[in-house]
Amino acid sequence: MVSRADICFEIDMGTTQQCSLAISSQSAGLSYRKIKMAAPIVGFPRAAFIRGCLQLRWGTTRLSPNTVGFSTFSRRKYGWNAHVEPTIDWTTLTTVVQQHVKSLNWGHRVQLKDKNVDYLNAKGSLLDAHTVRMLSANGKEKTVTASNIVLAVGGRPKYPDIPGAMEYAITSDDLFMLEKPPGKTLVIGASYVSLECAGFLTGLGFDTTVMIRSIPLRGFDRQMADLVTDHMEGSGTRFLRQHVPVAIDKTDSGQLQVTWRDGNGQEGGSMFDTVMMAVGRFANTGTLGLDTVGVEWYSESGKVIGRDENPEQSSVPHIFAIGDILHGRPELTPVAIKAGRLLAHRLFANTHEHMDYDKVPTTVFIPLEYGSVGLSEEAALERFGSDDVEVYHAFYKPLEYYIPERDASQCYIKAVCKRDGDQEMVGLHFLGPNAGEVTQGFAVALRSGLTYQEMVSSVGIHPTCAEEVVKMGITKRSGLDPTVTGC
Amino acid sequence: MIHFRVECPAHVWLKRLRPDQAPGKIMVVSVKVEGLSAFLEAVEKHKGKTIFALFTGSHDAQGKSWCPDCVSADPVVEECVKGAPEDAVFITCSVGDRATWKDQTNDFRTHDKLKLTSVPTLMRWGTPQRLMEEDCAKSNLVSMLFEED
Repeated sequence: MVSRADICFEIDMGTTQQCSLAISSQSAGLSYRKIKMAAPIVGFPRAAFIRGCLQLRWGTTRLSPNTVGFSTFSRRKYGWNAHVEPTIDWTTLTTVVQQHVKSLNWGHRVQLKDKNVDYLNAKGSLLDAHTVRMLSANGKEKTVTASNIVLAVGGRPKYPDIPGAMEYAITSDDLFMLEKPPGKTLVIGASYVSLECAGFLTGLGFDTTVMIRSIPLRGFDRQMADLVTDHMEGSGTRFLRQHVPVAIDKTDSGQLQVTWRDGNGQEGGSMFDTVMMAVGRFANTGTLGLDTVGVEWYSESGKVIGRDENPEQSSVPHIFAIGDILHGRPELTPVAIKAGRLLAHRLFANTHEHMDYDKVPTTVFIPLEYGSVGLSEEAALERFGSDDVEVYHAFYKPLEYYIPERDASQCYIKAVCKRDGDQEMVGLHFLGPNAGEVTQGFAVALRSGLTYQEMVSSVGIHPTCAEEVVKMGITKRSGLDPTVTGC
Repeated sequence: MIHFRVECPAHVWLKRLRPDQAPGKIMVVSVKVEGLSAFLEAVEKHKGKTIFALFTGSHDAQGKSWCPDCVSADPVVEECVKGAPEDAVFITCSVGDRATWKDQTNDFRTHDKLKLTSVPTLMRWGTPQRLMEEDCAKSNLVSMLFEED
């Protein structure tokens, strides 16, 4: 019996073989490799196998008080005898999250093994269009050749260039590895990562502040982004808007002293137990040797530039990029997975289907979720002009909010449509409980050419929040009050 | 250069014999138990070591299990366990006869650290690493579970 470990480290193929190499540890690369193809496939994961995204996503979607049911306050209003507010045991939480991530990683290893994909734990870099250098942890170097190479190394969190950032701040990857509860936390950044983390930290009972340099959720619909931060503020998350961090220092007590500058140039500061950076991510392509082989990349982000007609194809034939390192495409896991699958099918199963990056739905998992698909209102106005755009909208109140008298000020839906004919829907935005669940179905309809007329001729399911989407009748143009009344 | 570990009786290793390994030394401590309390006792006894566990349907007088997947898995596991770390402990635990196993209130199904849903189940104790049913008869997967992490 040949030991698997021995074979994997001792590969030395003298000639180019009909095989594929995937340099990645991310979801994209895994999906590519899991497809059972005739050609043997070899993979080089980086050390931490899909850690960040999964930990964060799991944390936000499954831990926020919203998803585990009503708060104690709401329960009491219904008549439950709940007199004690539950508190979180941080050790239990981090243990179960880490165990879950480990079990997922194990599951991936089993699936890869089952499909005879060799898993090589080494750092890969390109030597030429068909050759990869492997550097293992013990310093051993080998080369391997392949007819196709797929890059899917994902992104890493950025750190601002200020004193103390690298030494004292954590990123979302580290949150569930903290041995002690994060305590009073400052989250720096306006990204969805920042807001999602701040959201569930607030929900778990930690004093949480978000520092934003300019606008929240850049790239998302402006109005929706502001409603999101309004809701978070109403729920107890503090915001420092138009602030930038200047320095982070550790004090004798172990707390972190953060100095900042506000929009007027005034300096200020405060103490925190934990500082988390969520100011964006850069593509982790620095050590791949892209320049060596002539793969074009975008210098500002490190991302690989694809072809218009063949988005995953790099400037070098037979070298492909998928996932977060692909320039100009949504940085989303399901996008990366699907792109990987379709690429594998095109290369080995003779299909011609390309990834459609248009109308990709997404959801920001803050305590009041925001789901969207298609264009933002401002993007639609820019593309078609205000005369040719009709926006339907509604403020609604989820049924479960009535009895506990919860504030529904930010529960809002907006459908961005073309104005002529049956009014093709080009964007849908939903802010409310379970927005992810609601948006998924509508996204499928939108991709199939959903029109406003078709939508309002559908019957709603009662009582749900989603039914308010098909019941929308007030346009922004009319100036009428879009608040839904009645049950 | 490719290293081979050759199939042969345990007391003879043809290649890569480490200086501290004398011929005749079996690398892994093998323990056989029946029932949950015996299993937990064995785990407690070997606390601190790397523990692997194979949960299997009971064997009849001829040594054959009522569980067909267990029958297929047995020889594969027996082989691949030789690749386990040298100071590991390998516990084979019988979950009982078919009726005992099918009972949904069975200890092995309900115990917090086990929550078994099928036999055979092969696991590295204290980690989420486990293989179930027909996967336990796949030598590439079983080897992967036993090897050093």
